[in-house]
Amino acid sequence: MAHLKTALTGYVSYRGREGQWAFLLHRISGLGTGLFLTIHIVDIALVYFAPQLFLEVLQLYRSTLFGIGEIFLVFCVFYHGVNGLRIALFDLKAAQRWNIPTARGSARLVLIIALVLWLPCAVWMLRSLLLHNFGLFQ
Amino acid sequence: MKRTLRIFRFHPEQDTRPHYATYSLEVQPTDRVLDLLEQVRAEYDPGLAYRRSCAHGVCGSDAMRINGRNALACKVLVQDLSTPVVTIEPLLGLPLIKDLVVDMEPFFAHYRAVLPYLINDEPLPADGRERLQTAAERDRFDETTRCILCAACTTSCPSFWANGQYLGPAALVTAHRFLFDSRDRAAPQRLQILSARSGVWLCRTAFNCTEACPREIHITRAIAEIKQSILKGRPAV
Repeated sequence: MAHLKTALTGYVSYRGREGQWAFLLHRISGLGTGLFLTIHIVDIALVYFAPQLFLEVLQLYRSTLFGIGEIFLVFCVFYHGVNGLRIALFDLKAAQRWNIPTARGSARLVLIIALVLWLPCAVWMLRSLLLHNFGLFQ
Repeated sequence: MKRTLRIFRFHPEQDTRPHYATYSLEVQPTDRVLDLLEQVRAEYDPGLAYRRSCAHGVCGSDAMRINGRNALACKVLVQDLSTPVVTIEPLLGLPLIKDLVVDMEPFFAHYRAVLPYLINDEPLPADGRERLQTAAERDRFDETTRCILCAACTTSCPSFWANGQYLGPAALVTAHRFLFDSRDRAAPQRLQILSARSGVWLCRTAFNCTEACPREIHITRAIAEIKQSILKGRPAV
């Protein structure tokens, strides 16, 4: 418990640079993706164990709140994946390039790449959400 | 010029919880943060506790959080700090003793765990004097010999905050120094220690350690080289 308090204090109050922000975003996006995968495995399992409940869960998935959550989920997947590649590349292939400028620059680049990949998906998903839940763009 | 110093205070025999005390000081732009602490102790409170020794960035005694970042108080000048209020806090992740003093024993326990000494049981060279190495062999670990064990790196590490069992950057830097020494013969033993649960794989490359190091050691790079060595089963020269 003491370590949890220390870690949270550090995450919030320590003024780390891009590396710390990338670390935190990697953690959050990883937790978000993991949580979704868990929910997804459970809901798919309902097809076998409780088909009626599965249909009700599908209705929940079509709600606006879940729709917005899915848009952010896609960002989590993109960010976690691209940042994971960055870390693996430096750590396992290019250790000599681990220095402050490359660490800061690569962390920024990863965020840009993730946003570039995510934005078209986000627009498309948001449009779909507005179309189905609010009847816009018909 | 005027500066307000906001210092984390905790007296274990008087306080139930830490608090911050503020002190208004007349300072010079070229004053070091350590000078400010000395001024507070001289003018306001002789009971203020902090560590210092050489005061020239060599001994590593006065590492602390200055405006939210780890640094040596003797190396940070007032003119380097852009804020009118300078906040000083103890290192994070080590048990607090008093004010800015933390218990360094867990840090040194990790240091000892990586066998911080040369291991070579082979007979001495024919001349019976020293085990020679080339300049290139010496260069391989030159940077990691610069560590002064100030703990600025280890206590800036998010993995260490979350898990005190993690060896931490400073111990790994020391491990790197001996692992890549051509005269050392304990690489298998070292790699086993470093690949354990509390070892090198807990590094998440947050880079706070490299940013905080007052000796400008490329710590994350050294840790990555240890990771590669573990994967190869020998020092990845």
